[in-house]
Amino acid sequence: MNIRCAKPQDLMNMQHCNLLCLPENYQMKYYFYHGLTWPQLSFVAEDDKGNIVGYVLAKMEEPEPGEESKHGHITSLAVKRPFRRLGLAQKLMNQASMAMVECFDAQYVSLHVRKSNRAALNLYTNSLGFKILEIEPKYYADGEDAYSMRRDLSELAKKLNKPDNSTCAEVVESSRAHHAHHKSDGHCC
Amino acid sequence: MPSSDPLPPKENAIFRKILKCYEMKQYKNGLKLSKQILTNPKYTEHGETLAMKGLTLNCLGRKEEAYDHVRRGLRNDLRSHVCWHVYGLLQRSDKKYDEAIKCYRNALKWEKDNIQILRDLSLLQIQMGDLEGYRETRHQLFKLRPSQHASWIGFAMSYHLLNDFEMANSILETFRTSQSVESFDYKHSEFLLYQNQVIQESGDLDKAFKHLEEHQGQILDKIAVKETMGKISLKLKYFDKTVSIFMDLIRRNPDNSEYFKLYLEARQITDAESIINFYNEMSKEYPSSLCVKRLPLDVATGNVFEELITEYLKRNLRKGVPPLFVNIRSLYRDSQKVATIEKLTLEFVANLNSTGHFTKDDSSNGIPQEPASALLWTYYYLAQHYDYLKNTVKALEYVNLAIEHTPTLIELFVIKGKIYKHAGDVEEAYKWLDEAQSLDTADRYINSKCAKYMLRANKIKEAEEMCAKFTRDGVSAMENLNEMQCMWFQTESAMAYQRMNQLGEALKKCHEIERHFSEIIEDQFDFHTYCVRKMTLRSYVDLLRLETRLRDHPFYFKAAKCAIEVYIKLFDEPLKESSTAEEANLENLSPAELKKMRNKQRKAKKKAEVESAQAAKAEKKKEQYNKSKQQQNQDNGDPEAPLLDELIPEKLERTEDPLGKAIEFLKPLQLLSKNLIETHLMTFEVYSRKNKILIMLKALKKAYAIDPESAALHKCLIKFTKLLEQTLKDADEIMKQVLLHEITNELPILQKKPVEINEDFLSRHKHRADALIAAAEIYYDQSDDNQSKAIDLLKSAFKLGDMSLEHALLAYNLLFVEGKLGELNQEVKLEFKKLFNDKYPFVPCFKLESL
Repeated sequence: MNIRCAKPQDLMNMQHCNLLCLPENYQMKYYFYHGLTWPQLSFVAEDDKGNIVGYVLAKMEEPEPGEESKHGHITSLAVKRPFRRLGLAQKLMNQASMAMVECFDAQYVSLHVRKSNRAALNLYTNSLGFKILEIEPKYYADGEDAYSMRRDLSELAKKLNKPDNSTCAEVVESSRAHHAHHKSDGHCC
Repeated sequence: MPSSDPLPPKENAIFRKILKCYEMKQYKNGLKLSKQILTNPKYTEHGETLAMKGLTLNCLGRKEEAYDHVRRGLRNDLRSHVCWHVYGLLQRSDKKYDEAIKCYRNALKWEKDNIQILRDLSLLQIQMGDLEGYRETRHQLFKLRPSQHASWIGFAMSYHLLNDFEMANSILETFRTSQSVESFDYKHSEFLLYQNQVIQESGDLDKAFKHLEEHQGQILDKIAVKETMGKISLKLKYFDKTVSIFMDLIRRNPDNSEYFKLYLEARQITDAESIINFYNEMSKEYPSSLCVKRLPLDVATGNVFEELITEYLKRNLRKGVPPLFVNIRSLYRDSQKVATIEKLTLEFVANLNSTGHFTKDDSSNGIPQEPASALLWTYYYLAQHYDYLKNTVKALEYVNLAIEHTPTLIELFVIKGKIYKHAGDVEEAYKWLDEAQSLDTADRYINSKCAKYMLRANKIKEAEEMCAKFTRDGVSAMENLNEMQCMWFQTESAMAYQRMNQLGEALKKCHEIERHFSEIIEDQFDFHTYCVRKMTLRSYVDLLRLETRLRDHPFYFKAAKCAIEVYIKLFDEPLKESSTAEEANLENLSPAELKKMRNKQRKAKKKAEVESAQAAKAEKKKEQYNKSKQQQNQDNGDPEAPLLDELIPEKLERTEDPLGKAIEFLKPLQLLSKNLIETHLMTFEVYSRKNKILIMLKALKKAYAIDPESAALHKCLIKFTKLLEQTLKDADEIMKQVLLHEITNELPILQKKPVEINEDFLSRHKHRADALIAAAEIYYDQSDDNQSKAIDLLKSAFKLGDMSLEHALLAYNLLFVEGKLGELNQEVKLEFKKLFNDKYPFVPCFKLESL
C-alpha cells in the first residue's frame, strides 16, 4: 500500500474508483479542475500493482461571507470495499488536511456527509475531530439531507511534523455531486 | 489598420455597441443593433456587420444562419481582419481547429499585431500540439505586451515544451528577479517549483538542487521541495542529506513505500537482515504505518519469513482485517512463501477448532483464546488462497465453511462469486454477487461488481437495472452512465454485446468510449489560459504531456480492440439488408417451420410496436431535455457545442467501410500502445484484408521484436508465408526485391516453409499449452491427413502444468465451435468430453450432458 499526492495521470483512475464506489459522480473536467487548481490537495492510495484503491479529492473555498479565514473542502473521498478497515480514509484525509494548512493557510476543512452514512460519520467525528455544524436539508440529488461538518486545523498547523496516527474506521464519502451543479462549480475560465 | 470598408461615424458607433454586446453576452441586443445597420440600404451588405451578426446568431444556437452571415460578410470584405477573426471563432466553436487556425492567420495578415487574435491563435496551437507555431505566437505576444506576467510565462513555456531548457530558464530567471514576493505567495511558490522542473529537465541536477536550497523558504509545497531534493541528492550521491530528507518525509507520511525504498537506498542497506531490523525499529515509532509491517515480508526468507508472517497473519486475523489477502498477494510470486503461508493457515484452522488458539505454542504459553471471528477470517483467507492457486474445490470448501460460520458477511458471497468466475461458471458467479448486493443495497461498490459479473454473463439488461439503483432518476441508466463517462460499464457492455453477436450495439458502446477520450482531450482547452493565470505550471505541463498519450489508457485499448474485432468480422461476413435475409430463408422452410416463424414474426411485430411507442415517448422526453439544455446554454451565453451524430447500432453495423473504421480505432494504438503485441497482430489482421503485404510484414516485424515465441504471432507468420508464396509469383520485380530484402534482413524465419516453421515452433515449445493448440490448428489446416496428429497434440496439452482455463476454452472452440479440426468421430468426442470435464468441472459448456 502506498499513499501519495495525486498527479494529473491519476485523475482518470480516480474517476474510475469514484464511479465504482459512490453515487456522486463527476465528469473528467471536474477532476482536472481540482488537480490543476490545487495540485497539492488530492491524494491516492495504491496497491502493490499500482491500482488506485482509494482517493481524496479536495479543494479550497473562498472565505464565507463575514469570515476572513480561507478553508479547505473535501469534494469526495472513497476507498474500494475490499480495502476497507486499513485506515486508508483517515490517512488520506490527514495528508490532504496538512497540505491545506501548509500550501493555502487553511484554518479549517469542511465536508458534507449523508445523514445515513454512519460509518463515515463515525470516522469524521471520532477519528478525525470533525464537528457537525448544521444539517443541510435535501443536499443530495436523491433528496437526502447532509450533515455539514468542519474540522478545525489550528492544532494540526501547530504540530505539522507529527501527524496524528490513531486508527480509523470505514470508508467514507462526502461530496456534493451533481451533474448540473458541478458545471458551475467547476467553472474555470 | 483601419477597416477597408469603414462605416460613417453614426453607424460605426452602433457597430462598436454590437462588439460590446457580444462581449457582454447580450446577444438579443446585438441582433437588434446589427439590424439597425443592415436595414440601411447603403449598408445591407456591410461585411463586418454581417460577420458580427453571424457570430451573435451562433451564440444563440442558430448555426446555419450564423455560417450564412459570416461567409457572406467575409465575401464582401476579404481584407477585413474582423471578418477573418469571426470566421475563425465560428470554426473554433465547431471544433474545426485546423480551419480556425487558417482563418486567424488570414486575419493576422491584415492586422499583424492584434493581441486578441494572437492569443486565440496561440490557444489553438497549443491545443493542436503545434509547438513551433506556438513559440512564434508567444514570441509575438511577448514583444507586444512585455509587462504582463502571462507573456513571460507563455514565452518561457513555449521553449520548455520544445526542450530548449536553457532559453526557458533564462526567461524565467529574468522574470523571477523582477518580481517582488509577498509572504505566503502561492503563485510565486508554484512559479519557483516550475522553474526548478525546467532546470531538472535540462539535466543540471546540481543547479536544480542549489536552486531549491536557495529558494525553499519561499516555497509552500513542502512535500514537493523535499521529494525533489531527496531524489536529486540521491542521484548526486549526497547520501547523508538524502537520509535526513527522507526521514522527514517518512515522519510526515509513514505510508509512502517509496520514501522507505529511497531512504534505504541512501543508507546503502541491501542485506535482508538489516532491512528487517530497520523496519522493526520504525514500527516502534510508527505503529499504525502499514508499510513498516508489510515491506519486510518482501525481503525476508526462510525461518525469518515464517516468524514475521506468523505474527502478521495472527494480528490481521485477530483484528479481522478483510484486505489481508489482497495485501500480501504479491508475496505469492514466491512458491516457498506460498507453502509457508498455506502450512500456517491450515494449522491455525486446526488449532482454532480444537483449542481456540492459532498455534499450540499460544495455548501452552497461556495466551488468551482468540475471538470466535478469528476462525471465520482464517477460512476467508484460505478461500482466497486456494482460489488464487486455482484450486476451486478447496476454495469453495473454505468459503462454505466461512458462510456456515457467519451467514451474514457480505465479503464471503463476493469471494464465492469470484471463485466461480475463476472456475469458468459466469452464471453461478453473478448469482452470488447478486446475493451479496442484496445484503447491502446502499453500497455502490457491491452494486457495481454485481453489474460487472452480470455483464460477464451476458445479462446486459439486468446489469443496467442493477446500475440504475445508483443513477439519477428521470434518465435511463445507460444514458446517465454515458454522461458520467463510466467507461468500465461501457467496455464490459461492448464485450458482452460482441459475445452475443449484437455487433451494432457493441460498436455503439465502443464509439461512446472513443468519444469520452475525444471529449477529455477537448476539455484541456480552457486550462491553457487558466493554469497560466493560476501559476500551476507543473501540473499544466503534466497535463499537456498526458493528453498526447491519453489513449494509452487500458480503457481505450479494450474498446479499440473490441471495435476492431467487430469491424473485421463485419468485413468478413457483412450483414445482409434485413428484409432480403428473411426472404432468402423462407424458401427453405417446411410448412410447420413456416407457421412457427409466422407466429414468431407476429409476436416480434407486437413487441416492436410497444417498443416504438416507448421510443417515441423517450424521444419526446429527450427533445424537451435538449430544448431546456439549449435554453440553459443561451442563458449562459455558451454557444451550443457541435452536436455529434447519434450513434445508431443498425447503421454502425452496416457501415460501407468496416476496415476504414477499424483503422480509425487502430491508429492511436499504433502510436501509443506499440509495446503491446496485440496492437501489431491487429494491424496484421486489418491489413491482410486490404492485401497490404508490406504493412503486414512491418506489423509482424514489430510483433516479433516484442515476443518471437508468441503462439498468436506464430499463426500470423504461417498465414503470411502462404500469402508470400502467392505474392512472389504475381508481384512485379521491384516489389519482389523489396519483400525478399526485408525478409532476409529483418525476419529470416519467413524464408522457411510453413511446415518447417510449425515443426520448429512445436519442438521449441512442447511444454506450452498455447503452443500445442496453435500448432494443432496449423497442422490440420495444412492437411486433413494431419487430423490424428492435431488431436494428439490437443490431448497432450491437457497433461501440461500450464494448461489454463483460457487454453481449454481455446481448444474447446477449435474442436466443437469452429470445427477447425474437421469432423470428429464419436470416440474422440467422448474422450475430449472427459478431458475437459475432468480438468474444469465447473465450466457449464464442459459438462458432459452439454457437449
